[in-house]
Amino acid sequence: MSYVLKQLNQEWRFMLKQKYILILLACTLLLSGFSVFNGLSEINQQKNTIERLKTADLMDRAIAQDKHDDPGSLAYYSFHLTYLAPSNIAFSALGERDVLPWKHRIRMLALEGQIYESDSQNAELAQAGKFDFTFMVSALVPLLIILLFHDLFAHERTSGRYDLLIVTAKSQFVFWATRTIVRFVSVFLCLMVPFYIGAWVSHVSIFDITFLTLCCFIYLTFWTLLSLWWGKHSGSAPKVASGLIGMWVLFSFIIPILGDLAINKIVHSPKGGDIVLTQREAVNDAWDLPKETTMNAFIATHPQWKNNVEMQSMFEWKWYYAFQQVGDQTVESMAQQYRMAAQEKYELAGYVSLISPPLLIQRYLTRMANTDAVAAFEYEKDIREFHRQLRHFYYPLLFTKNDFDKHQLINIPNFDDVIDQ
Amino acid sequence: MNKLFIIAKEEWRYWLRSKLAISVLSIGLILTLSSVFITSINMIELTHTRQALQSNAQDNFAEQPDRHPHRMVHYGHYAFRTPSPLSALDPGVDAYTGNSIFLEGHRQNSAMFADQRQGTALTKLGNLSPAFILQVLAPLLLILIGYSSISRERETNTLAYILAQGTSSFTLIAGKGLALMSVAILILMPLIISGIFTLSQGASVLAIFGFLFGYAIYLMIWVLLILLFSCLFSKNSGSFTGLAMIWIVFCVVMPRVASTSATAAQPFIGKLETDFAVTKQLQKLGDGHNAGDPAFDKLKASLLAKYNVKSIAELPINYKGLIAKSSEAELTAVLNKFAEQRMDSELSQTQFSRYFGWLSPAMAIRTLSMVVAGTSIETHHQFLREAEDLRFNFIQGLNQVHIEQLSYQDDINRNRDVKASQSARVGAKNWQLLEDFNFTVDASHIRLVRSFSAFLQLFFWLITLVFAIKLVGRRLL
Repeated sequence: MSYVLKQLNQEWRFMLKQKYILILLACTLLLSGFSVFNGLSEINQQKNTIERLKTADLMDRAIAQDKHDDPGSLAYYSFHLTYLAPSNIAFSALGERDVLPWKHRIRMLALEGQIYESDSQNAELAQAGKFDFTFMVSALVPLLIILLFHDLFAHERTSGRYDLLIVTAKSQFVFWATRTIVRFVSVFLCLMVPFYIGAWVSHVSIFDITFLTLCCFIYLTFWTLLSLWWGKHSGSAPKVASGLIGMWVLFSFIIPILGDLAINKIVHSPKGGDIVLTQREAVNDAWDLPKETTMNAFIATHPQWKNNVEMQSMFEWKWYYAFQQVGDQTVESMAQQYRMAAQEKYELAGYVSLISPPLLIQRYLTRMANTDAVAAFEYEKDIREFHRQLRHFYYPLLFTKNDFDKHQLINIPNFDDVIDQ
Repeated sequence: MNKLFIIAKEEWRYWLRSKLAISVLSIGLILTLSSVFITSINMIELTHTRQALQSNAQDNFAEQPDRHPHRMVHYGHYAFRTPSPLSALDPGVDAYTGNSIFLEGHRQNSAMFADQRQGTALTKLGNLSPAFILQVLAPLLLILIGYSSISRERETNTLAYILAQGTSSFTLIAGKGLALMSVAILILMPLIISGIFTLSQGASVLAIFGFLFGYAIYLMIWVLLILLFSCLFSKNSGSFTGLAMIWIVFCVVMPRVASTSATAAQPFIGKLETDFAVTKQLQKLGDGHNAGDPAFDKLKASLLAKYNVKSIAELPINYKGLIAKSSEAELTAVLNKFAEQRMDSELSQTQFSRYFGWLSPAMAIRTLSMVVAGTSIETHHQFLREAEDLRFNFIQGLNQVHIEQLSYQDDINRNRDVKASQSARVGAKNWQLLEDFNFTVDASHIRLVRSFSAFLQLFFWLITLVFAIKLVGRRLL
């Protein structure tokens, strides 16, 4: 045992003398720190945006509720903020939040006409991607590990010390293992320490920290073992590194690109434009259709109002909102297919990621941070549920003749309650 | 001169004997060829789909029955962004911005249905576009082939021998450079062919030339970098590790550092948030649906005076239409003001990230490529502006029809009964007023001027490296 400790100590001091390795370690620490710092500031920006939106949304709705008195106009002019707040650990995996929406304001009109609107980020920056901890781990760390480990054997071989080292070492295995462990632990710490600081600042649960640590550990071990194995049997250091970088390119670019091509060929989805177009036509045509046609289609799905569809004049709000809802109903199956296609793509991408470690760890980390496509699906579900609650709040006010009192607006559905469910 | 070619030929002979160089070269060619092929087909398909959708939307609009003109204002129309011809080589932001906008009265909607939203998220690290292959992978391939070009001669002690034979060190470096450059041109070949092909798709010669020229300089920068490192290090392994690190920093790290720093340095306020400020301003204007809004009193008084009548019912034109038209104009002015502000701040954010071209040639070529291909954020902004023009013109056209062809009496009585609502309509022939919309990118010289600073960045790299090699090449041994 003391031999191992002595060996570890010796390797540690040996490493501190190698400028090249120290530079790589410093780069790891620096880049990891940068990724965490940026993740934190990005999430902070998003949180502040949501807070500002919440305040502005309340004020805006208060003005609308002050200005209008009948339920129909109130529903027409009141918008409601919906949002997907970032999780505590989201700073480590910003995920798809630059492409997929996480904030929407909706009102009681046909939802299909509103839900595809996106308040997108700068497209040119989104195309370049963000430098977050997940990118650091999945893409950059393998390269750093390759640079650290590819010449473990080759370096000694080319400098002519290899045979001497093997002969003099008490145990060959212990010698290489300690050298590997010292480098591995150093790079692992340089990577993780900034994350731990970030996690501490944003109150991440111990469970999440442990899980992420484990993921990173396994992933780094995979690349280290791959580098060692490849280096043991190959010739000069540049040849080893070329092969390893080739594998990195295969895992990070080639497999995902081929997977993407294949999935887009396999999965067929209705065009988003067609959904909106059809929905729009349905809503517009309703103005010219006989009122009964619309009302019949409406009470087919909302039978509780079948005794309240009589109209006194050419325009009544209840008819207006009924044809909005009927518009949504006409494209319901299309919209369903559209969503299913997105989910199917996500699931198929899961199979592709099984043969690409960088994709796999990205998938785990964004899932844990709730910043992936699944989070966006759930968010869309929440919006749909909230819209349903909103409609069912207004329907009694619109369809029955009871006197409307503005105090009833206190019971208006709240998006926060939808999230809590 | 002759010596130069001999050295280059010898280098090629060495590559052809080495398994690594051959496999790297063939991988490079397969990658560029397939990416050019697949992206071209993709883009041609996209162009056709969007053009079909556009004419479909136009037909739908024109085929609407007799209606109240304001109904058509809310019926609305669609604008689709057809991709620029050169997007076959660099799709740029195409998949990241919505490619269609719903145009209607009183509102400026944002672009919908970015392809990326419905994507697999697999291509976050890299995609199959020729631009990506050339910006990121081609340098790596060049490094793998060329890292040992000088250091090898040094390691095997042939360097002194070559120099002693009377070959100057610059001829040696230039010869090796020539060989590497020929590889670069080989990798660039599919792009050149595809570029010529896009001529038939309507791309301009100037743009294609600028585009390919930019990539040629970019690859030349990498050739120079490789030569420099190969000269600097005494060992192959040193040269390789150095180049690998440079590649990681320039091609993998920098683009993301640039985009991340830009978001942090110049936060962008989204449309959702600025819309609150818009609403606040609009509330001062008065509601165009409500002709009785006190905001229109002044307009009313001036109209009555102009036509010398006592009430709006006596006016020879439809007062409600006039209100709709004048309020649409005021509202659009406000909306445009905010839209321009938003685009400005988005652009300055992008410009910030483009400064990183001084730190990494990969960033410079990325900007140059997108800007010249007409797939950068500027082109998207141009699309937004043109779509807005289209919107404003047809809405105001409809409002003009409302003013001139619908009597005020019929208009105000339209909700009385079915018959009244029938007479408050205008003929379907009026829907022909819609202009044909066919989005085309800015002229090529505008795009080239726009890419000036990116060209400058590349030339800066080129010149710096030439000087550096001159400095290092003096003491090769």
